[in-house]
Amino acid sequence: MASYLVTILTLVAIISILGLALNLQWGLCGMVNFGLTGFFALGAYTAAIVGLSGAGTFAATLAAVVVCSLACGLVALVSLRLSEDYLAILTLGFGEVVRLVVLNEEWLTHGSLGLPGIPRPFWGLVSEDKYEYLFLGLLALVILGLFIALEMLLRSPFGRAIRAVREDDVVAATLGKNVLMLRVKVFALGGAIIGIAGSFHAFYMTYIDPSQFQMIVTAYVFMAVIAGGRGSNSGLLLGSVLLMVAIEGTRYLKDIFNVFDATQLSAIRLIMIGLGLILLLIFRPQGCLAEYSLKIKGRESKQRDIAVQTKTRAT
Amino acid sequence: MIAQYVWNGFVSGMILALPAIALTLVYGILKFPNFAFGAMMTAGAYIALVLNVNFGLSLLWSAALATIIFAMIAVVIDQTVFRQLRDRDSITLLVCSMGVSFVLENIARFIFGNAARSFDIAIARPKYLLGLKINNEQIITAIVALSAMAAIYFILRHTALGRAMRAIADNPSLAAVRGVRRENIICWTWVIAGGLTATAGVLAGMDRAIDPMLGWNYIVSTFAAAILGGLGNPVGAVVGALAVGIVEETSTLFIPPNYRQAISFLVIALLLLMRPQGLLGVATIKK
Repeated sequence: MASYLVTILTLVAIISILGLALNLQWGLCGMVNFGLTGFFALGAYTAAIVGLSGAGTFAATLAAVVVCSLACGLVALVSLRLSEDYLAILTLGFGEVVRLVVLNEEWLTHGSLGLPGIPRPFWGLVSEDKYEYLFLGLLALVILGLFIALEMLLRSPFGRAIRAVREDDVVAATLGKNVLMLRVKVFALGGAIIGIAGSFHAFYMTYIDPSQFQMIVTAYVFMAVIAGGRGSNSGLLLGSVLLMVAIEGTRYLKDIFNVFDATQLSAIRLIMIGLGLILLLIFRPQGCLAEYSLKIKGRESKQRDIAVQTKTRAT
Repeated sequence: MIAQYVWNGFVSGMILALPAIALTLVYGILKFPNFAFGAMMTAGAYIALVLNVNFGLSLLWSAALATIIFAMIAVVIDQTVFRQLRDRDSITLLVCSMGVSFVLENIARFIFGNAARSFDIAIARPKYLLGLKINNEQIITAIVALSAMAAIYFILRHTALGRAMRAIADNPSLAAVRGVRRENIICWTWVIAGGLTATAGVLAGMDRAIDPMLGWNYIVSTFAAAILGGLGNPVGAVVGALAVGIVEETSTLFIPPNYRQAISFLVIALLLLMRPQGLLGVATIKK
């Protein structure tokens, strides 16, 4: 049971990292990434290939980060003059291209056979049966680091600028913000985070093949972001936990509906994911937790100002 | 030799044109790129498959009935899902259409499984004309697609419905002031879009085997076709589809055929860089 829980938590953690990336790109800057699976696969394969070449897992992660962030930046650059719809289509197309390359360039990726034997970070540091815990701890550290960094970014002038771009890019441009560069930077930064998620996926699985990277991953991440509350990082963490509970819960469907075969059960789960996405968007588009808002902070700081004033007056 | 590729490309462009028109019409009226039409094609193909194989109707009748049935299903989907989201931004609708796509695709998977199936049609010997190899299916595809396009063109140009659709696409508030009933027109748009995608699904199913991923294989190419023609422009979508079909087919002379969809992606990327309004589009895109 404990190892089952650790597995689930590891998967939640990887989805959460992807969610943090989407939350940055879409939640904060309004740039929708429909090719999430493709970038994720790109990161995983880069990490796997570099890792298998014997360069070490740190170099592998770094390579995945660089490659994904470059790819994201380029795709954003192509659609720079256009509305969000086009970025969605372009990222979707890019994801397809990644899938085709992975399937067909067998000298590099072994096609549908997949890449086995990917090295893991800190392997051998603890005994093999404890390794899963170490890996989960490592992931937790990564998420914590990313979470803090993103929350700081959100509250920084840069964070306010990208939210201004999301709300109205014309106003942001009028105020002298370089909208194009902000967009490309945010998308590339999101790509870097996807690269981290991809490399950890590769390390965790130690074997990757194209069947692990399907459109459904994109749907999962969108659901986690929407369920948690678009723009809210803490909401996202909650959202991905809720999502995983829902997905894993449906695994027990087979005990209830034992007349269906495996394909049918997986189809039922995907139908439920699709329905869940639709229902969320219709009935609770704002999600569980709200986005960090300057208005509340303004009130707080005013109160703090008053407090400071009274304090100074008292002394 | 080249002529053979151009002909094959022309026929696959004909199949692409139908969902591209549907995509572009829905985009014109509702202003969102509908991601679900791939799954809609799949659903149309499966409905025709049931009518054809299980009920023993001829393929022509199955296709016609599937078109009508799915046109109604499309309206039901709109009323239950998209209608609730009319005032939301296009990305919400886009994400929602991803949900619709999963539901449709997996209903098909649930009922029929992952195995590839095919229509019950007699295999005919290909004809040769001026050195071109022409399959029976290709002729049927071209005839069906061309008549569907002619019908759509007639509806858009010469009927009150078409005028209303163009009016809403052009300027929704002005159309509303002039008494055009938006919800009615949206309904009819989905009837047309649903019918077109279902027909395309049947044609695609004739071209290759029917499996739950059938429509998925057309998504990037269809978006490429619609963007090439300028989103919202039906005539442009047809031209775009033919161009994409022919470019994809002839590209297999130089690159492995598996990369056909990558060619579509390149077409989109290059076009967006150089002529974002599409080849036939007018420059109305902001940002």
